[in-house]
Amino acid sequence: MVRAASIPGKPIQMKVFPSRLLQPHTAEKLLNEIDQVKGVIRMLVGGKNLPRKVTCGPGTGSDVNHPNMEVIHVGDVAFELHVMVGEVIVEVEDECSREELRKACERALPFPFEFKQGFFIKTKATLVDYGKYGFKSKTDESINLEDERMLGLMDPHASADSNLCIISSGEEK
Amino acid sequence: MAYKPQYYPGNTSVAKNRRKHMSDDVEKVRDISDEDLTALLGHRAPGADYPSTHPPLAEIGEPACPVREVVTPTPGAAAGDRIRYAQFADSMYNAPAVPYFRSYHVAINFRGVDPGTLSGRQVNEMRERDMEEYAKRQCETEISDFGLAGLRGCTVHGHSLRLQEDGTMFDMLDRRRLEGGVIVSDKDQVGVPIDRKVNLGKPMSEAEAAKRTTIYRVDNVPFRSDKEVVEHVQKVWELRTVYGFVPKA
Repeated sequence: MVRAASIPGKPIQMKVFPSRLLQPHTAEKLLNEIDQVKGVIRMLVGGKNLPRKVTCGPGTGSDVNHPNMEVIHVGDVAFELHVMVGEVIVEVEDECSREELRKACERALPFPFEFKQGFFIKTKATLVDYGKYGFKSKTDESINLEDERMLGLMDPHASADSNLCIISSGEEK
Repeated sequence: MAYKPQYYPGNTSVAKNRRKHMSDDVEKVRDISDEDLTALLGHRAPGADYPSTHPPLAEIGEPACPVREVVTPTPGAAAGDRIRYAQFADSMYNAPAVPYFRSYHVAINFRGVDPGTLSGRQVNEMRERDMEEYAKRQCETEISDFGLAGLRGCTVHGHSLRLQEDGTMFDMLDRRRLEGGVIVSDKDQVGVPIDRKVNLGKPMSEAEAAKRTTIYRVDNVPFRSDKEVVEHVQKVWELRTVYGFVPKA
């Protein structure tokens, strides 16, 4: 497992921002297409929250049962969507993967999308990460995390079980 | 010559729609039964009597007052109904109404209304039966397109979001959704399930919504394309500023 947050080289981060909020089947298709792109290190799926229960007002506590809260399959992993997907941030190994990524998105999305390069996911541990994971040892002050690619993918207070999926690469299968 | 109100300036389709909303000269596009509307509002069980907060005014015996003699109470006030609300959220993607014009519509054409106008939602508090009358009017006419608008008492999130793939406005509580080409709702405005599926009609096509909207947008009818409206807005701004500095003027 790599210790660095990103693969050595010059990884870049891209944001895919469709002009519509995605239904589960389109999100599944998009994520699978992106997963097929060579050099993808990690993806961060963002969107509008789909609550299980009504959280405010006179209906507090009623079940929502949102139809878009579906289980989708990406690679060899199945997980339940907690959001209506509105954007996907992808980190790829280098510039060479960018065009392939754009083509994957064009194949999956039946409507226009924005495709922006920038810095969207942190790559270094911050204070809250050290607060959660601590140092490696008394002598090694690096963060006590087996895979630093997890940094920035979820809230430091959230549990990895329900928020993080590890998809095995083609070589590992 | 009889006085004819001049509601809003401008010659664009958006200005004309704004005038239509303000004057209540709107087209009826769907039918929603009283019972369905009551269920959607969620304030009382459909078919139940209106609960009251005070005895009918006729029984109370009002004091002698020239204003009370001039102003006829609304049916809700006369019966002593409770104050209840209805709240709408409209998408900024060419929804037919916007909060301001919902407020204008109800404040100009109905009585006993307390409108609350916010950026993405509009709430009206009225006596219960008066509120139902206005809500029915706004729900049944071109003021509301339930693909791009929603009756939302809480969790109104959606007006400034991108539309869903099916062209409808996001609803976190899934109160209404597109099913078989029509919008159906099986929850009341605060997200509590109701015992029926209310048919809210077909959503407008993109072209139809663009034609009926009261929103100026650069990708439809830009605000600056309507010179008369720009002139009017600038005049109002100027007079407010001048009078703000010279209150006696």
